[in-house]
Amino acid sequence: MSSFSGLTDALTALNAARYALDVTGQNISNANTPGYVRQRAELAEAGPVAGVAALYATQHADSTVTVTGTSRLNDPVVDMRARSEHGRNGYLQTTASTLSGVEALFNEPSDTGLAEQLNDFWNSWAAVANNPGDSAARNVVLQKAASVAGTLNEASAALGRLSQSLTDQAGSTVTQINTATGELAQLNSAIAVGTATGASDNQLLDQRDGLLMKLSDLAGAQATINPDGTATVTIGGQNVVNSTTATAVSVNASNQLDVGGTIAGTAGGQLQGLLDGLTSTLPNYAGQLDAVAAALAGTANAAQTGGYDLAGNPGGPLFSGSTAGTISVAVTDPTKLAASGTPGGNLDGSVALAMSQLGNAPAGADASYRTLIGTLATDSQRASQQATVQQSVTDSVDALAQSSAGVSIDEETSNLLTYQRSYQASSRVLTTVDETLDVLINHTGRAGL
Amino acid sequence: MLRVTEGSTSRGALVGLQASAGRLSALQQQLSSGRQITKPSDDPTGTVSALQLRSQLKQITQYQASATDALGWLTTVDSAYSSITGQLQQVRTLVLQGMNTGTGSAGSNTAIAQQVDQARASLLSLANASYLGRPVFGGTTAGTVAFDSTGAYVGDTGTVSRTVGPNTTVDLNTPGTTAFGPNGSNLFDLLSTISSDLVSNPTNLGADLTALDARQVAITGDQSLAGAKYQRIQGVQTTSSTDTIQLKSQLSDLQDIDLADMAVQVSSANAAYQAALATTAKISQISLLDFLR
Repeated sequence: MSSFSGLTDALTALNAARYALDVTGQNISNANTPGYVRQRAELAEAGPVAGVAALYATQHADSTVTVTGTSRLNDPVVDMRARSEHGRNGYLQTTASTLSGVEALFNEPSDTGLAEQLNDFWNSWAAVANNPGDSAARNVVLQKAASVAGTLNEASAALGRLSQSLTDQAGSTVTQINTATGELAQLNSAIAVGTATGASDNQLLDQRDGLLMKLSDLAGAQATINPDGTATVTIGGQNVVNSTTATAVSVNASNQLDVGGTIAGTAGGQLQGLLDGLTSTLPNYAGQLDAVAAALAGTANAAQTGGYDLAGNPGGPLFSGSTAGTISVAVTDPTKLAASGTPGGNLDGSVALAMSQLGNAPAGADASYRTLIGTLATDSQRASQQATVQQSVTDSVDALAQSSAGVSIDEETSNLLTYQRSYQASSRVLTTVDETLDVLINHTGRAGL
Repeated sequence: MLRVTEGSTSRGALVGLQASAGRLSALQQQLSSGRQITKPSDDPTGTVSALQLRSQLKQITQYQASATDALGWLTTVDSAYSSITGQLQQVRTLVLQGMNTGTGSAGSNTAIAQQVDQARASLLSLANASYLGRPVFGGTTAGTVAFDSTGAYVGDTGTVSRTVGPNTTVDLNTPGTTAFGPNGSNLFDLLSTISSDLVSNPTNLGADLTALDARQVAITGDQSLAGAKYQRIQGVQTTSSTDTIQLKSQLSDLQDIDLADMAVQVSSANAAYQAALATTAKISQISLLDFLR
């Protein structure tokens, strides 16, 4: 055993304590940094070289300390679960928000919604039935018909605008995805180099996890972490990041997700929510709204063409067009409205009376519209309930991830104390060994002089 | 064991605060709009029921307007018939007078005949009684009179009807020919005959009187029919007023808030939110650093 090995041992302990203090300081600095995963200096005993025969080995205290690395204290399993919950959350939130957008556009139940306008329209016919010769009553019918048609046109246009806005959002989401996959491919190459050379790449891994989470939110991306720390990412079953290569994604004309020329399967995240809105939710409601318009035009026109106008001529169709976007009032002259059931220009009101009852028709516009609102209400309620549940699941998984990766100030403070004491004690060891050597060298007699 | 960190505490607190604030905001939205259902997804079944109730209410309002209109029509009919009956009584007296004076006094019979002619003109105008510009005895004619100046029926046989309740359509009119007789032998033709018989053929007056009585019976019959319809419509009106009240209360139950209940809910949500805020502020203040000296 060397007389000076005590000094070296104390120095090693001092270094280790200082390094641990540095890491603690780093944790405290980044306590509020988003995506930062707390780190810990891993200390280990450094023993004598193993396998040396006792004959040749010098007698030595058992071991000293060494820093073996800086570990990143996340839980990869929880992280993976968090990513998958985030993907689902993004999807459900977007779906719920699309449906609530559709809901807002119909403004029901209210005194101004389409249901009430249809009621007013049919009822205006009763006034004509009571007094078929009254031009004021006939004018009211034309006004009410125009307002029903106008509301249908506007609802259809609003659905179109909603669809355009979803398309725009999908476009910007795709841009964000492509940016993130590009960055991830670059990071992958840096991480691979770092791992190969043994450099600490914890900061790069934090960035990697941040990007993976972003990709999950945006597109429900599935990530596999490779042994060298790089990540392989698939969206809808198609590889988008493989080692250092990123494949660009895009949305094609029929609103399908295209990964480098291949149509991807169902992805997830916000993007899938937007695409589902574009391919199924909005077309579904647009179709139902068209059915309302078709039922309105169909029933009203059938009744009108079976009747006779004020001059006794056969009535013509009241509405032209049979979709919500194209329906309009075809009659401009109030006397051309057919109220009479018999020719000859009399004041019979039987057709007007029949028109006033069309709102009760089982397959009429009112019934179709009520079905639309009922379906929309149920869909939207279910979507928003699912979104609420998923949000709380996501929050709890995030809390779980945060529980292993988050910095606790109390813990770091107590670590500071621990390492500070350790540093102080090691200094004391150094001083003590020094004093011992001082006695040995300077104060041990004067023999031989 | 779950590690608790400053980040997770503040996240958890934030989620809780968001939820409390969300509940408070939803309640306040309901309170300020006065509606339980502010959008269809608040209550899908309630929304569909509300739409149906609204449509029924609108229809009942329309039925009531139609019923009022029908009652006005029938009142016109009834008062016209009452006046006509009075006039016919006078004509009957005149005919009896003519029969009694006999053929001897042609001069006085001429005077009576003139009075009958007057009565005919007055009856003609009564038979053309109109409601809102439409002759009530003219069927669905687009013209302004039911009988022209010669007393011929110029109306048609169309039906004027009002729908006064669900599946309750009442035919308001009978064509003028039912009460006043067919063209050629109607009331006005009869009165012309009486007028000429008084002067030139008093022996025929007996037969004329029988015919006059037959007309009177027909007119009274039609008047009582109109009265029965009036009563029926009034009955339906009463039912629909009751229905309106019921529908309005159902609709209100569905879509309107209970103010007292809502006030309690808002204040308890408010208290919960304040408590959450206060606790969050207290908890986040302490750490180990406060106790190290």
